[in-house]
Amino acid sequence: MVAKGQKRKIHGDYETGGSVWESQLQSVLDISMDKFHRDQALVEPSLLRSVLINNTLRQVQFEVESLSEVGNPKSQTYTELQLESDFSRDSSLMSHNTQTDEDVIAWSSEDEFSLSSAISSILKDLDAVIEAGGPGPCVSQRGPLGSIENVTGDGKFSQSGLKTQRTTDIISSSSKIDMMYPSGLQDVALDKLLLDIDTTVFEPEVNFLQGFSVNADELLKCLPSMSKSSSLDSPSSSINHGQPTWEIHEIEHVMDVLMRTCPQS
Amino acid sequence: MEEESDFRKINNSFLRDHNYATEADIISTVEFNSTGELLATGDKGGRVVVFQREQESKNQPHRRGEYNVYSTFQSHEPEFDYLKSLEIEEKINKIRWLPQQNAAYFLLSTNDKTVKLWKISERDKRPEGYNLKDEDGRIRDPGTITTLRVPVLQPMDLMVEATPRRVFSNAHTYHINSISVNSDYETFMSTDDLRINLWNLEITNRSFNIVDIKPTNMEELTEVITAAEFHPHQCNTFVYSSSKGSIRLCDMRASALCDNHSKFFEEPEDPSNRSFFSEIISSISDVKFSHSGRYLMTRDYLTVKVWDLNMESKPLETYQVHDYLRSKLCSLYENDCIFDKFECVWNGSDSVIMTGSYNNFFRMFDRNTKRDVTLEASRENSKPRAILKPRKVCVGGKRRKDEISVDSLDFSKKILHTAWHPYENIIAVAATNNLYIFQDKIN
Repeated sequence: MVAKGQKRKIHGDYETGGSVWESQLQSVLDISMDKFHRDQALVEPSLLRSVLINNTLRQVQFEVESLSEVGNPKSQTYTELQLESDFSRDSSLMSHNTQTDEDVIAWSSEDEFSLSSAISSILKDLDAVIEAGGPGPCVSQRGPLGSIENVTGDGKFSQSGLKTQRTTDIISSSSKIDMMYPSGLQDVALDKLLLDIDTTVFEPEVNFLQGFSVNADELLKCLPSMSKSSSLDSPSSSINHGQPTWEIHEIEHVMDVLMRTCPQS
Repeated sequence: MEEESDFRKINNSFLRDHNYATEADIISTVEFNSTGELLATGDKGGRVVVFQREQESKNQPHRRGEYNVYSTFQSHEPEFDYLKSLEIEEKINKIRWLPQQNAAYFLLSTNDKTVKLWKISERDKRPEGYNLKDEDGRIRDPGTITTLRVPVLQPMDLMVEATPRRVFSNAHTYHINSISVNSDYETFMSTDDLRINLWNLEITNRSFNIVDIKPTNMEELTEVITAAEFHPHQCNTFVYSSSKGSIRLCDMRASALCDNHSKFFEEPEDPSNRSFFSEIISSISDVKFSHSGRYLMTRDYLTVKVWDLNMESKPLETYQVHDYLRSKLCSLYENDCIFDKFECVWNGSDSVIMTGSYNNFFRMFDRNTKRDVTLEASRENSKPRAILKPRKVCVGGKRRKDEISVDSLDFSKKILHTAWHPYENIIAVAATNNLYIFQDKIN
């Protein structure tokens, strides 16, 4: 069944939230969530597509919030709409439907759009890995590893109330990455961390994006400056600050070492 | 306008055998060179096929200017990025020709990550009469050589060879969507979702980043770059379009980093047309300067707009490509068609613009007469040398005999890539894995 696109004709409809508009809101939400989940399954979703879907979801969330804020009696019927299974979709999508229903209810009561933060956290984690590869031949006037700053542990992960299976996976893989990059580290210290990684710990099928097959504790053992919890609390004291900038040949060396452990196609 | 309705098809089309149509044969870019003598196509399998126009001959005047295959080569191969465990597609995203400076032809072709400069040259002579080798290539016994001779160049069958001359790699984290050669013929730029890099054609190990819209916090990312192009005459000016429907014009003289634009083109949103999909359909899929350099054309999902560089507040002209899809946006969002990236082209005199649509339809708009026409690129509907019949989509009510209703449109047959000869009324239209070349009627 394909949801019919209905054009809202007058601005008045927007405020009153007619049932036609609500059903479109529901279908846009469902379709967007479906696409979001499918894109998560892909190794490398298109950035343009992700951004457009993300923005649409934000817009949907805004609409939902404005409905509940207004205290519109229609919002009551709206949540009822979601819970009802009269929406004639394929049975295969039914379970997905209930999950998204819970999600929407969760969102409407939260201040933050935690789904978009999950999406964008994926983006920035992706980016952190990418940027760690060094600047290459592109002589950027910006600091070469400037975006590594993004990869500090993000408290938002723990706050997300997402209940779907897939997003649980996202959280667990992100928390693994968090353990790699403890919060509070400065980017320069982070580079030193990369230097200290004992690459023999990595098994050949290691894949950055899906977390490591190695136990995170074992990993920490190999990082002498990070093995003690006290040093985690006060990273600034344990890391030497006066260190020189990350040299390009050092980056290349690290990358060479890392690439040797990765499978050859 | 004559060419609107009187397009005679010459040379039929370059059709791959439908039975064995593979995904690798899907044409992903089409481009004429600066004289129109050559036409290059790139496909999903990383191959480039170059067609050359036949010389006009008095013996066969009706075969004026047919395009024949000139050269075929594998430009890009699939690669594996070990660091990210990702496969890099070999699909050719864009081809751009360099202006011709000697007997050889040069073009830039790019996939998602790497730009390559290819030299296409002809060889029609070969040296014969070596002393140490005989004609088969076998080494001669030095003891049998009694005289010496000078090798002489003898004519041979024409051989066209393509060699990669430069490889510009490792400068893009995200997927390259555009390349554009500068009018100074020394530099070119490559654009990915978040950054634009400037290269010198001679130097492959270094590029300069001139635009970077990546936010410090990726969570704040709401806009990406979708296309970019250099001004045809001013080597310091370029534009880039975004997924939010805006175009920024930048001047490289202003600063090394062109994050601050010189001009910002955006049309305010029409509140009566607002929907959940307003942003998605406003995302610009292609941007092209006119040949004169005075105008800019942009393609978003439902319209083509012509902008005057001197007026940023709104476009000069807006043309509806397939407005009957506006009520179907939800379905098109569901089946991903709403993300299709259509290109648009100017004709040589900037009086007509052309873009593609679904069901193998493509549309032409005459800017002067304000007339438009819908044509179809398909084997079934046209014979060689037949005049193309205008098509019409019926939006509602009674469907006339030749019309097609919106619900019958085939959304898998989309024309995303087209090209127009720089001087003449010859167009190339890529319909999935087939290439059609149409020419104006000969009087």
